[in-house]
Amino acid sequence: MKNTAEKKSSVTPIKTLKFLFKKPITFKFPFETREASPRYRGFHLNDWEKCTGCGNCADICPNSAITMIEIPEIVPEPGKKNERPQIDYGRCCFCALCVDICPPGSLRLSRDYIHIDHATDSFVYLPKDEKIDTEHFVKPEAYSIFQASLNHRKQYFEGFISDLNFTLFDPEREPVEILPASERVRSFIEEMKGYTEEQAKREALRCLECSLCEEVCPAHMKISDYIKAIYDENLTESVRKIYEDNPLPGVCGRVCTHKCETACSIGYRGEPVAIRWLKRYAVDNLETGKIKEIISIFKGPELKRRVSIIGSGPSGLSAAYYLSLMGYQVVIYEAKAKPGGIMRYGIPKYRLPESALDRDIDIIKSMGVEIKLNTKVGKDIEFKKIKEESDAVFIATGFPEPRSTGIKGIDSEGCYQALDLLEKIASGEKIKVGEKVVIIGGGNVAFDIGRSLARLQMEKFGKVNITLTCLEKAGEMLADQEEIEEGGEEGLVIKPGRSPKEVLFDENGRIRGLRTVKCLSIFDEEGRFNPKVDETDVEDYEGNMIVEAIGQAPDYSYLDKEILDDLEIVRGRIVTDEYGRTKIPWLFAGGDIVHGPDIIHAIADGHRAAQGIDMYLGSKSEKVN
Amino acid sequence: MMGKEIEREIKILFSDAVIDSTEKNRLKIRIKKDLAIYLLEFLKSRGFNYLVAISCVDWIKEGEFELVYQIGKIDDPLRIMVKTRISRDRAEFKSAINVYKNAQTYEREIHELFGIRFEGNPRLIPLFLENWNDIPPFRKDFDTRKYVKETFEGIPTLEESK
Amino acid sequence: MSRRELELYFGPQHIGMVGNFSITLSVEGDTIVEARANPGYLHRGFEKLMEYRNWVQNFPMVCRMNVVEPDSMEMVYAMAVEKLAEIDVPERAQYIRTIVLELSRLASHLFGCWAYANMLGLDTVAQWAMAYRDFILDLFEELMGGRVYHIYICPGGVRRDLPQGFEDKVMNFLKALGNHVPEFDAAFFNNRLFYERAKGIGKISREEAIELGATGQVLRAVGLQYDIRKIEPYAAYANVNFDVPTREDGDAYSRIWVIRDEMLQSASIIMQCLEKLPQGKVYKRTPNPFKWNIPAGDAYVRVESSRGELGLYLVSDGGNKPYRVHFRTPSFMHGIPILEKLLRGANISDVGNIMISLYVVAPEIDR
Repeated sequence: MKNTAEKKSSVTPIKTLKFLFKKPITFKFPFETREASPRYRGFHLNDWEKCTGCGNCADICPNSAITMIEIPEIVPEPGKKNERPQIDYGRCCFCALCVDICPPGSLRLSRDYIHIDHATDSFVYLPKDEKIDTEHFVKPEAYSIFQASLNHRKQYFEGFISDLNFTLFDPEREPVEILPASERVRSFIEEMKGYTEEQAKREALRCLECSLCEEVCPAHMKISDYIKAIYDENLTESVRKIYEDNPLPGVCGRVCTHKCETACSIGYRGEPVAIRWLKRYAVDNLETGKIKEIISIFKGPELKRRVSIIGSGPSGLSAAYYLSLMGYQVVIYEAKAKPGGIMRYGIPKYRLPESALDRDIDIIKSMGVEIKLNTKVGKDIEFKKIKEESDAVFIATGFPEPRSTGIKGIDSEGCYQALDLLEKIASGEKIKVGEKVVIIGGGNVAFDIGRSLARLQMEKFGKVNITLTCLEKAGEMLADQEEIEEGGEEGLVIKPGRSPKEVLFDENGRIRGLRTVKCLSIFDEEGRFNPKVDETDVEDYEGNMIVEAIGQAPDYSYLDKEILDDLEIVRGRIVTDEYGRTKIPWLFAGGDIVHGPDIIHAIADGHRAAQGIDMYLGSKSEKVN
Repeated sequence: MMGKEIEREIKILFSDAVIDSTEKNRLKIRIKKDLAIYLLEFLKSRGFNYLVAISCVDWIKEGEFELVYQIGKIDDPLRIMVKTRISRDRAEFKSAINVYKNAQTYEREIHELFGIRFEGNPRLIPLFLENWNDIPPFRKDFDTRKYVKETFEGIPTLEESK
Repeated sequence: MSRRELELYFGPQHIGMVGNFSITLSVEGDTIVEARANPGYLHRGFEKLMEYRNWVQNFPMVCRMNVVEPDSMEMVYAMAVEKLAEIDVPERAQYIRTIVLELSRLASHLFGCWAYANMLGLDTVAQWAMAYRDFILDLFEELMGGRVYHIYICPGGVRRDLPQGFEDKVMNFLKALGNHVPEFDAAFFNNRLFYERAKGIGKISREEAIELGATGQVLRAVGLQYDIRKIEPYAAYANVNFDVPTREDGDAYSRIWVIRDEMLQSASIIMQCLEKLPQGKVYKRTPNPFKWNIPAGDAYVRVESSRGELGLYLVSDGGNKPYRVHFRTPSFMHGIPILEKLLRGANISDVGNIMISLYVVAPEIDR
């Protein structure tokens, strides 16, 4: 390269004199100011409405500048902690990693950056924003730079904010394969394929380990730990952590109502971590023998006490598992031919295949639990006898009786109850499915029977004709969103906001349809069930089979009268404390008969009742040999 | 290619050197500590007269220190990494100062921070630290938190001073 | 030491010193007999601190090792992690990285001009250089929100896309700087004072430079066309045209002239990159920072910072934290052996002259 000519001159520097008369480019701070750029990284702002208290900002800070402080004024909600981040500006380096990892995007940086004070304590700061902290955030007109400090900041002065394209967490979930609607409606094969190893590792990598999910899970499972074990390819450790709080993971990994995923912090602006499918992956990919080996380590020495459990649903099985691990001798009395309760006879096979349920129950039985099938208490054996033989009794009989609308014509032939039909389908009995079916009800049971009948219709007639009608309006239906979507794909026609009026018959006395009227409201001002209808808005739905799925009720006929009098029963449910204890010291209860509403609550009830029974029987039990 | 020639010659002269040439423009040679200085002399004689850096890694689980010499040539993008291991308990090595003059300062730094003695280096005096009376700080068994507690224990934390 | 020698501390509290760095001089009259460099005032132990933080938490820490030009530190860390983890960076991110690195180089050279002119007593030129550096810092504030520490280049790309109107602002700045170059030449580079003070001072020969491990301007001032951007191109340097200026004499005068020519080349590179900037994404998301493990291995990567070859030797043992991080900084060689050699026999009034022309930055030596 040709070198620029190097000259040396003593005269040319005089040319600089011309700058004497030019306006300088400096400005006199603080009398003249220049506003910071739109992306400036200054002091923190935090929107306390959006902030979940997850603590990810405190975990990622490279200088440990953030501590989570408990704020007593905030009422804790399930899925959110009442903690908020506090920043120590002596340590903070304004790198904004906390902004990039905040899942709801509540933590941001502003354009304020001046704070002068003698006291070092004032540099430790709990950031709020102008919506809450009206005292310290002032309007731009009232702002004065001579008083600028952490207690005198400008409103609406955001700087560096979070951007979903550049966050440090991944907002997209690994999609799980589901059979297409046209294929799955032809059979009862399980519709969801599980994750492969690659997919599971990628999904497990997303979890930020903030543990909001653990608090909201009714059984408080150790979710962050077992997901981390899946990522480390240590399925043994993962299953061990799962079984500490849940002995039915094959079932929950398929049909749980996943309150954890609703609380997941990534779900605020992205898709939550697929906790349910990861649980299923961990349990499906470890051999049964290995699982039995892992949990047998927890079994304590045998005690000479006997506990009887009535009902082999999720609550009963869970209590049996934990009691038998503690060393008690456990017997379950089950009225039906196979164990499982609502899991076998209520949930259709395309959501929960029998093999998964049988495997979970087999593992529980291998811990030493005895299940007496086809034994109905009150008919095949007296409750008094059970009480004499046991040191404590746990009842978990659930809600086996279906309820009826009681409308005109509902007790004729051709009208069925969803629960009865589901039980028959589960037992393998053939049922007469109508060519056109109307289902009354909008909850999960209604969709279960609707989609099961759709498959039977497809098999028999080659096409699906099912109408599903419920009181609730379209956005308020009680069923899970996934059920509504998948049911719609399979051909169910949904008519929300209608109240059933009467069953319609043709000239020969056979059912031809259901008459409905518009439902205006369901509950009255006091919250009681009191639906109001508009009789002039009438719609008829064609059908030669009517199925009701509006709810269930308990059956306490097996209990003696003295016991029923002593127990406190409110609106059909037995009152207990958090350990399943009733007014009668040796009688414990759990599951749907206490509060429901789903399997994971029942499992948690069973675990806590086992602890309650252990406390009642005390550790004064003699050990066997 | 210069890299291939050098690789061939090294394989002939130093038969138990382990050579890794998978990366572009990089040649990683692992050699026993007795032959390391001879390898450096050989490389310098073939025109690689530029010592870029000497690094040290503390493999505490294996009980060894690893010294890595980065050698280069001015008009060639090829960089050669000569790696050798010495025992952690008897941390001494021969200085490379006769081969590359500027090794002196790097060895001084490694001596101070890791505690390795280089025979033949006349100037192994402290470089960064002053009045240091603990174990060499970059070793893996040096606990920074314990050192801070013991040295600066007089200063209370924010919670304690309230 | 003969009885006519005095020991003087050209210590950290000295007006002619740049950064916290001190030299112990043994002088005899006005001539230096021996010089010993005392680094260590800024030793923060970064290499050990980085072993306790995971891969993502480390990149805000790396830039603090060099106050004057932090972007090259971020670049070399990002390149090392991307090499070990085998991450592909999108192309638009590479061009943006090139623009940021060149702006940083301009800022750093202007800082050097300030230091040198200030030391010589030519304060007018020093203030001009600082003023233009301030405009560059304003540009960085637009881009990322921080003026000195940008924390912008991260493993996987860059942290945000260019804001609206950024390209125009950069072009306006370059035009303003270009218009001012004749003034700089008139007042400083072609000034007879500069010639008399700098010619022949701190002369180093080619063999000595190579032997003592010099890089950057020191090598280019002895006639070697040594630039890593040409030898082992990284970022988008393979797609732009630029020259590598050299001079023959190897003294302070040549080194400062090399810096001036490099600044013009940097401006040309930035303009070419702005023209060729492609569309697309700028960030490839790296895995969850709490769980990201990088396979075991080691890598040595290097970039051409404004001072010379900046290298990083990164060792991973398969975990989520680095096992060993070693930065090879150019000021380490320039500041200790070369400075000590050049000061031997020099005049005491030339200590600042030689040190600043060698472009020693104290935090880089100590890390």
